[in-house]
Amino acid sequence: MRTAAIIAAHHLKRIARRPGLILLLMAIPLTLAGIEYAAFAPAAASGKLPPIKVLVLDEDRTFASSAVPRLIGSGPLADYIELDTTADVPSARRSLQRGQASALLVVPQGFQQALFDRRTAEIRFVPNPAQTISPEIVRSMLEMLTAITNGLLARAQAPLDAINKVVAADRPPTEDEVAEISRGFFRAGQQLQILNQLQNLTVDVKRPSGTTQGFEFRGASSFFAYIFPGLVMFGLMFISQALATRLMRDREAGLQRRIAIAPASRAAILAGGAFYLFVALTVVLVLLALIGSLVFRLKLTSPGTLLVIALGFAFFATGLQLLVISMARSDAGAQAVAGALIMILSLLGGAFVPLESYPPVLRAIGELLPNGAAHQAFIDVLVRQKMLGEILRPVAIIFTWALTFTAVAVTLERRRLTT
Amino acid sequence: MTAGSGAAVAVANLRKKFGDLEALRGISFDVKAGEIYGLLGPNGAGKSTAINILCGLVTPDAGTASLNGIDVVRQPVEARRTLGVVPQDVAVYPELSARDNLAFFGRLYGLRGTDLRARIDEILQRVNLADRDREPVGQYSGGMLRRLNIAAGVLHRPRAVLFDEPTVGLDPQTRLNILELVRAIATDGAAVVYTTHYLDEAERLCDRIGIIDRGAILAEGTLAELRRAAGEREIVALRGSFRTDAAPVALGELPDLQLIKVSDSELLVSLASAERQLSALLPIAGALGEVREVAVKQPSLENLFIKLTGRELRE
Repeated sequence: MRTAAIIAAHHLKRIARRPGLILLLMAIPLTLAGIEYAAFAPAAASGKLPPIKVLVLDEDRTFASSAVPRLIGSGPLADYIELDTTADVPSARRSLQRGQASALLVVPQGFQQALFDRRTAEIRFVPNPAQTISPEIVRSMLEMLTAITNGLLARAQAPLDAINKVVAADRPPTEDEVAEISRGFFRAGQQLQILNQLQNLTVDVKRPSGTTQGFEFRGASSFFAYIFPGLVMFGLMFISQALATRLMRDREAGLQRRIAIAPASRAAILAGGAFYLFVALTVVLVLLALIGSLVFRLKLTSPGTLLVIALGFAFFATGLQLLVISMARSDAGAQAVAGALIMILSLLGGAFVPLESYPPVLRAIGELLPNGAAHQAFIDVLVRQKMLGEILRPVAIIFTWALTFTAVAVTLERRRLTT
Repeated sequence: MTAGSGAAVAVANLRKKFGDLEALRGISFDVKAGEIYGLLGPNGAGKSTAINILCGLVTPDAGTASLNGIDVVRQPVEARRTLGVVPQDVAVYPELSARDNLAFFGRLYGLRGTDLRARIDEILQRVNLADRDREPVGQYSGGMLRRLNIAAGVLHRPRAVLFDEPTVGLDPQTRLNILELVRAIATDGAAVVYTTHYLDEAERLCDRIGIIDRGAILAEGTLAELRRAAGEREIVALRGSFRTDAAPVALGELPDLQLIKVSDSELLVSLASAERQLSALLPIAGALGEVREVAVKQPSLENLFIKLTGRELRE
């Protein structure tokens, strides 16, 4: 045990002397998270998707046409669509080409008159051809808004007819007519109040496990709780590769042989290498979690449970790298194999795309992989506030992989150390 | 001396096969405290296998090996505690200083505290690295690294030290320094096993020499004993192209000639006096083919090696 500790401490000291590569690799998940933060903040910080910018060109310049942007820019849609007026088509085109807006709405001349004439009043929707998702979201929202507005207009048909009658007669309205028009709009407005109830709507989500829970989006903390663990584990596996590469290079330089001829048992020598990887990876994980907490406002709820998952994943990454170097014949070979394994695990384990979006078969595979299980466990703790007892399955998966890889690696390495 | 009878290093009937290759075919040798034993042989002779068995890195198929009376197979950790090894290639951590490197290796051998620091100071003085002990050894010259390599191998005051061709590829001055260090280590009382394929090193440094080839020790003794075994005869190497089938009969006609090796490119013979017999040898060799080069080797350890193995050490 003492020898293992000496060996592990020695390797850790070497990292402390030359930490450049490890710090560089630690920057990978932080940079990726930083990019996402920059892309979605401050909207992510408020727990909402970033608003989509839409230009409005009012060619009608009437009371009704000016109501269009007010209708879109107020109420629930205001959280998702940010409106900006534009003076003319050329300036709107320039803005679209520069990517400053996702779509253009043109309220054409004669819009108000068409409403009064009970004709179809059109609004032209021009999507930014360089974008796909955002214009489609705006289109869907506008279609929904149009359907609602058409319903309201049908309710307000009586007062509109009364206005048309007065305009056609080219005279001022009588007091009775004003009162009737007001009552008509009031009744339509009362029916509009019913829609306010929609704002208090909550949606219950039925999970495959059978539990029912309200779905909540808790702002930036929750947003990064979803993406940060995957990025951290992706980065950590590459860091584990860099740490293991040192052991592999030691072997090629004859340093492992020099340790092997010291008065230490094979078990102590192997344990020394494993302790070194495990301790270094655990420290890196804790540091990344603290940085995530400080920079990205990640709420580290249930630190004990998080630590168990982190230790399990550090253990797995240790076993993975020990296995690779126990089977590899050269540094280059080990790096190629480890790199390929990390990419495959990351892709299947949902490091880049949430496992929830995968087809059922791939999702089942991903949840059985150590990084997929760890990712799921982290989300369960950070977002859903689950405790250790509720995430035993993913934790068991992580530790099973870790133990299996380490056991195979130790067996192979013992055989290699003594011919 | 028989194996284990007070010898610091004792090897008896050691055998090892790697697949079909018989790397060691029952070698035996002993080394006493303070003695330098040279294991002399070409690449692939079995030197490294013997060293690796003594280090506990390779398990022998048969035979015994012990260090200071401790069996290296049955008690590998205890045996290695008394052993120092200086590998052929420099094996130190380039990002660490000499002091940190030595501290790590010292701790592996159980040194610690003031004893460790004192020993590091002492060994750094001895290998002339005390003035640059705190800089990363990646900045050291080749000679400095070799000296540090030796320091790491003997820091823990081992009673037996294995040097595995420690001077390969070094300049003459550095070689000389290292040979002096090896001698000093033996003078301090350690038993030294020194493998090399440099004849001059073996002649200059070793108290006893074992000539090893193809997994077997062909001859063993002090330098004087081996020279006597080589006899006063000279060796003549004729190089060119020859008919091998007729060579034994044709060369056998010459009196007092011993045929060592016959191949289509070389004839190797032993003569009492090349000066007197060469005039008779050359026409016969010419009749067997074409002689393009003639080399005469004076009586030496190399002659003995050629006589025993039929080939030169560099082959």
